[in-house]
This record gives sequence, C-alpha cells and structure tokens, in this order.
Amino acid sequence: MKAGNKSNNPLLRLERVSKLYPGTIALYNSCLELLPGEVHGVIGKNGAGKSTLVKIISGIIPPTSGLILLQGEEHRALTPMEARQHGIGIVTQEPQVIPDFSVAENLFTPAYPCNRWKSIRWSQINARAAEILRQTGIDISARAKGSDLTISEQQLLLVTKAFYVDNAQIIILDEVTASLSEKDERLLYEMISREKAKQKAIIYITHRMAEIVKVCDRVTVLRDGQTIVTEQVSRLNERELSQLITGQEFPRDSQKMPESKASAASEQREPVLLSVERLTKAGNYYDISFDLHRNEIVGLAGLRGSGRTEILKTLSGILHADTGKVILAGKARGIGSPAEALKQGIAYLPEDRDREGLIEKLSVRFNLSLSSIASLRKGLFLDKKAELSRTKGLVNLLSIETPSTEEEVHYLSGGNKQKVVVGRIISRKPKIFLLDEPTKGIDIGTKASILEMVRTKLRENAGVLITSPGLEDLIAVCDRIIVLHEGRIVNEFLKRDFDESRVYLAMQGMRP
Amino acid sequence: MNRRMRVELFFLDNLIWAIIVLFFGINAFFTPSFLKYENIVNILYHSSILSMLVLGQGIVLITGNIDLSIESTLAFAPAIAMLLATKWIAAGLNPYFSIILTVLIGACVGLANGFFITRIGINSFIHTLSLLIILRGLTLYLVPFAIFKLGPVYTFLGSARMAGKIPVAVLLMFFIFFIMAVILKNTPFGRYLLATGGNPIAGFISGINTKRMVVFAFIISGSLAAVAGLLAAGRQDAVNNSMGKDMVLFTFAGAILGGCSLSGGKGTALGILGGALLLGMINNSLTLIGINVFILYATYGLLIFIAVILDRIRVKLRELVFYQENIRKLRSKANAARL
Repeated sequence: MKAGNKSNNPLLRLERVSKLYPGTIALYNSCLELLPGEVHGVIGKNGAGKSTLVKIISGIIPPTSGLILLQGEEHRALTPMEARQHGIGIVTQEPQVIPDFSVAENLFTPAYPCNRWKSIRWSQINARAAEILRQTGIDISARAKGSDLTISEQQLLLVTKAFYVDNAQIIILDEVTASLSEKDERLLYEMISREKAKQKAIIYITHRMAEIVKVCDRVTVLRDGQTIVTEQVSRLNERELSQLITGQEFPRDSQKMPESKASAASEQREPVLLSVERLTKAGNYYDISFDLHRNEIVGLAGLRGSGRTEILKTLSGILHADTGKVILAGKARGIGSPAEALKQGIAYLPEDRDREGLIEKLSVRFNLSLSSIASLRKGLFLDKKAELSRTKGLVNLLSIETPSTEEEVHYLSGGNKQKVVVGRIISRKPKIFLLDEPTKGIDIGTKASILEMVRTKLRENAGVLITSPGLEDLIAVCDRIIVLHEGRIVNEFLKRDFDESRVYLAMQGMRP
Repeated sequence: MNRRMRVELFFLDNLIWAIIVLFFGINAFFTPSFLKYENIVNILYHSSILSMLVLGQGIVLITGNIDLSIESTLAFAPAIAMLLATKWIAAGLNPYFSIILTVLIGACVGLANGFFITRIGINSFIHTLSLLIILRGLTLYLVPFAIFKLGPVYTFLGSARMAGKIPVAVLLMFFIFFIMAVILKNTPFGRYLLATGGNPIAGFISGINTKRMVVFAFIISGSLAAVAGLLAAGRQDAVNNSMGKDMVLFTFAGAILGGCSLSGGKGTALGILGGALLLGMINNSLTLIGINVFILYATYGLLIFIAVILDRIRVKLRELVFYQENIRKLRSKANAARL
C-alpha cells in the first residue's frame, strides 16, 4: 500500500461480528475499523472478548455471524492462510521461537530464501538477519540460538519477524509487553513508530492503560463481548478509560482514600492463621507482608506478572522465596513441598487445572481422594467403602455432573473438572485455602456455585486467599483485596471501600 | 451408568482375557494337544520368567518411565550372587541367604536407576539403556563360562514341582501377581504410583512425593528382574551370561497388551498377567504347530502386532461407549424438557 494517498480507506473493518459458544457469548455485534498508519489499542477486562476478536482477525476461529472487510473485499471468515496472504501478522503473549534454531533461522522460518536448486542460501539469511537486527537496534547475534535468548528478546525477535520479514500490513500485538524488559519495551515503541510511518496498521492489545495512552492513536474498549466505544486516545484520560473498561462510575466522593492496614486489622477479631513477613523472590515479588485471619477471604488482585500466582505457589511449597518469613499459627515455617504444605493445613488449587490439577485419564473417585487418601487407610489397606461414600458425598455437595464416580475425568466439562479439583482440596479439610483463579474458563452457573462454595463452606473455620481473572469475582466474595503491581503490594481495600474502577486503577500502579 | 454400559466397559477393560480365551479356543481346535493338562502347565511354566519382567516393566510404565535394564539384571543378579557363593567367598554362602542376596542385588540396580533418573534427571530410556549394556557386559566378563551346580535350595523355585506336577515357579508367579494386584488396587502407595504417571505435576501438587514413587517403581522392577533371574537359573541349574537376552522388547509388548500405556498412569496387575500369558501362549502354539524355525520369530512379531492393533481398537470402542452414554443423556434431558 502506497503511503499517503489512500489513508482514509480502512485496511480492515469488522462489521457486527459475533461469536457464540454453547453457553457463552464471547463476542456480540462488535465493530472495529483499522486505518493505515494507526496504532489501534484494544482494551478490556479478562473475558471481555479481546482474544476472541484477535482470533477472528487472524483466522484461528470463524465468527458465528458478521462480516470481515479486508482492503474492500468481503469475507465471512478467514483461514489462517488467508489471513497471512492478506498481510495479517500476529505476535502472541507467549513467545514461540524454535529453541534449537539460530536467530536468523527463526526469523526466516518457514520462507527461507533459496537458490534455484531449492538449496537454502545461508550466507544470505545470516547477512539479512544481521542487517535487520542492526536496523532495529536489538543487541543479539544473528547466530545465537533461540534457547539462548531471554523471554524478552524472544518476544522482540518475533515482533521483528512480523514487521520486517513477513512484512505484514496489519500486525496484531497481543499483550507483548507482558514479557518485555524495560529496555526492549523502548525498542518496541521505536519500532512501532517507524512502522506507523510506513502506513502499516497495528492492533495493540494490553491490560495497561498507561501503554494505551503512550503508544496508541485510537482505542476500542470491549466489555462483556461488545465494543463499547472507539475513541481518539488524546480525548480520554486514564480515569475515563478505567470507567469505560469496568462500566462503573467513580463515586462522587472519590477523594477519600480507603484507610488501609490499621483499620483492617482492628476489624478482625478472628485469630491470625497465616502471616507473611517481607517475603521476597527476586524477579517475582518483593517485600510481601500480610495477615490472613480465620473466616476471612482475601483477594490478591493484579495483572499478569504482578506476582499473585507466584505468591500462592510459594505458600503452597511449589516455589521457594529468597528471603522473608511465613508464620503459621505463631511459628515461622519453611514450606518445602506441597506435601509439607498439606501437612500444615495449606491446600492449593492450581491455576491450570488440566496441567497441574487433575489426572485426567483416571477416574473422578481417584482424583477426589488423591490428597486425602492416607486418612482412608484401614491398617495397611484402603477402606474402599469409606472412600466411595466420601466420594459420593463430595459429588453431591459440589453437584458434580458425572454418570458415575468411575468416569474418567477427561470426559467431564470444564466446570465439572474444576469442581473435582475443589473437591480434592476440600476433602483434606485444610485450614488455609489458596485458590489460584478458581473461576477461570468455566461457565457462569458453575462460577456462581463455586464462588458460593468459597463464601460459605470453604471459609468455615479457615482462611481463603483467592485470585481471579475478573475483579468482579473478587469483589463478590472477598472481605479484603490486596492489590499487587509489579511484584509489590501497592494498595489494600476493605469490603466497604470496594469499587471496581478504583481497584482497577490500583492494579495499574496508579493512585485511585 | 446403566447396566449395559457397565457390561460393555467390563468387557472392554478385560479384553486381553477375551483374546486369551479366543486364542485358546482356536488353538484347541487346530492342535488338540494344546488342551492337554501338561501343555497348559507347560505354558504357565514357560511364561513365569517373562511374566516377572512384564510385571516389572508394567509397574515402571505406570509411573511414566521405561526400564530397559531388566533383561540384563535378570542375568547380573544371580551371576553376582552365585559368584560370591561359589568362587569369591571361600566358605561359600548360606543358600537361603544367596536367594535373598539375588533379590537385593536386583533391588540395588533398581535403586541406582531410580536415583539417576529422579535426582540427576536423566531420561529413563537413555539411562536404563546404558545400564542394559553395562550389566550385560559385566556379566559376560565375570561369567565367561556358565556357573554349574547351584545347589537344590537355590534351584528350588525355578525347577521344583508340587503335587499335580505344578511347578513352584507358577505358584510363585501367581502369588507375586496377587500381591502386586493388592498393592496397586488397595493401598495408597498403588494410587500414588498411578497418579505419578498419570500427571506428575498434578500428583506433586496434590502432595505426593512423585520422585520417590519413581524410585520405588524401579526398585520393584529390579527386584522382579532378579526373581526372574532366580527362576531362569533354577530351571537350568546354571547361570550363564546370555540369560534374558532379547526379552526386554517382549516385556513392552506384554505390558501394553495388558493395558499399560507408554505415557503412564494406566495398568492393572490382572491385565499385565493377561498380557504376559498371551505372549507365552503365542510362543507355545507356534512351537506346537511346528512352524518353520526361520519364520517363527516373524510370526511371533505379527501376532503381537495384531494384538496391539486390537488394543487400539479397544481404546476407541471405550471412548465410543462413553460418547453414546452422553448422547443418550442429552436425549433424555431434551425429552424431559419437552414434557
């Protein structure tokens, strides 16, 4: 596309695009317009439909209805190949370089320059790669291996590939800054502004409002699968943006700062179950201190990379802190492994239930009794009757939908799988629950019942630490929300001060 | 779950035994001598050595690992024990103690395997491959000629027969399989083994010391390989350096036929026994038919191939049963909604 002369014709337009899944509406009548030479921000909460939108544009999933207009051509849906041919490139959150290929090879895979005998021209590849790296200012060797790069360098390499090698006209950057270092972030911004000048269009997806303000020309806000508004970034400030994202007005008396720690502690008459003192793990979290009382539900709110998962994993013995203390029932404890954590009454519900939570090829009964099986012993052997009755009890309590307790777990739906993991950790009757995104990827009904379970059954005589992909879940169940930003506690809200927009701003590292 | 589904699943989960019955029937039809009491005892007797290895391999597969070294341990463990008893220690050894020693040597080989695989983090295939070669090499070096005359106590398990001409080895085989069945099905330890192979990360997070479970599995397989060595040595009243050679690949065939999976987390002692016995039966029937020696090995392989294909079909059918059950449920839900 020649610079300048067509600048008012959009490169890409989505018209009333919807994507329905059984049980959920991921995207509903959404519109998006992309002009040449613009950086278009897309922002919204988790589950607002950002990733669905991106997948439709890059051809990974077909929309249920709606039109995609690419340079004037109408499409009902794109395939990944078509998207590539139309110059659409995508860089995702998790960089995917081939570890054993050199930087140059990674750049030119799969379209290697060849001579006419189809033999790869290595000298040309290496020379061009070195040239591209020099231009972009990335300080890595073209001959370094993919596995020798830091995550940040890998991410930058893929952005470079999309811009300079694949020569895409429309580039989707899906939360790429989540894994970029500060230095590489600057390089990215420079690259973006150079490419903008070449009339390319960039779709910029991020959770950080500061970035939208910094790099984007226009922004489209998504909420509950709908495009709420598309606006020039220069006309919005961060407060307005945060209101658009959460859909909630700031209260009038928003000057009043929530009183933190002192009043929080005074409100708690229950004994402290767990207290964390200046816990630090370099690169993940720093100086984390808080108390967890009995019958209390505390939420850890923060963006990806804020350290919330790592804190829970440390308390459950999977990761280990560099310095700091964990005090359980008045005694400082080292938690070396999940087995030790369980012995001390700490149960962890992992964020990734398929990979870390379940043994899918084994039965519901097997999975439910996995953590508590030692207590079902009768002499040397298992008390199978007791096991079965306990299993049935849990299936009823959590209303897990399964034809029988002997069904293999991979036949269950996502929500029911999650209930099985919840059942497994309940069965051990722990004193402290660490719930890492218990509501991730499950349908609304199950979500409600799991949250209800947390609020009633789990907190009985126990303390709960919970994280969630959506703030509304935390607001619904928590007594207190601790806000993390880049590994540090930046704020704390008590139940009476809960306000989605404010917590959202705090998660961005800003003063609400 | 309705009754029909339960029956279907029971049949599919125990398909190996159905195949055994079928194979038995076909053989009995074509070669009547197959059915003779002596021949059946013979099949069991000849299966007993391989079955120990198959069981060991099965346990290791359950934890998601592979043990190639068992066939060398089979020769190595009795070789060391007998060298000690007949050569290295002038006074000799108490024969009962040498039996225990044999099993202990196997257990130590397993412990070493487990240590290197879990603590140093070597892939189990590569590690046990090196041990397969090392132990065979050591046995060849230490036992250039067979060691004869092992004594009646040491050969009792491998060669003695009880009333009704039932070999002690067969009784021992059933006894060990029974013990393993109880351990796998009825103890927390058995659950932990399955969980370790089914999903090591989830197992670890739910509080299992998964590394220790892998070490235990290798100790079990090493010990069982030593027991197989005891039986083999006892049968021929000698320890020679080629015992167990080329058996390890058949242990995979047997374990997979018995319902284990190379990716771990699957397997029962009963199924593994079935897999081992089917291998023994195939071998026996081919010998009885008097098939050309040169084609025997290939035919053996072909029959294993067919059996493994059948096993894949079994897995697919099992999925189909659940799929149909889901359809049925959805239909009845829809019907209920209409009413």
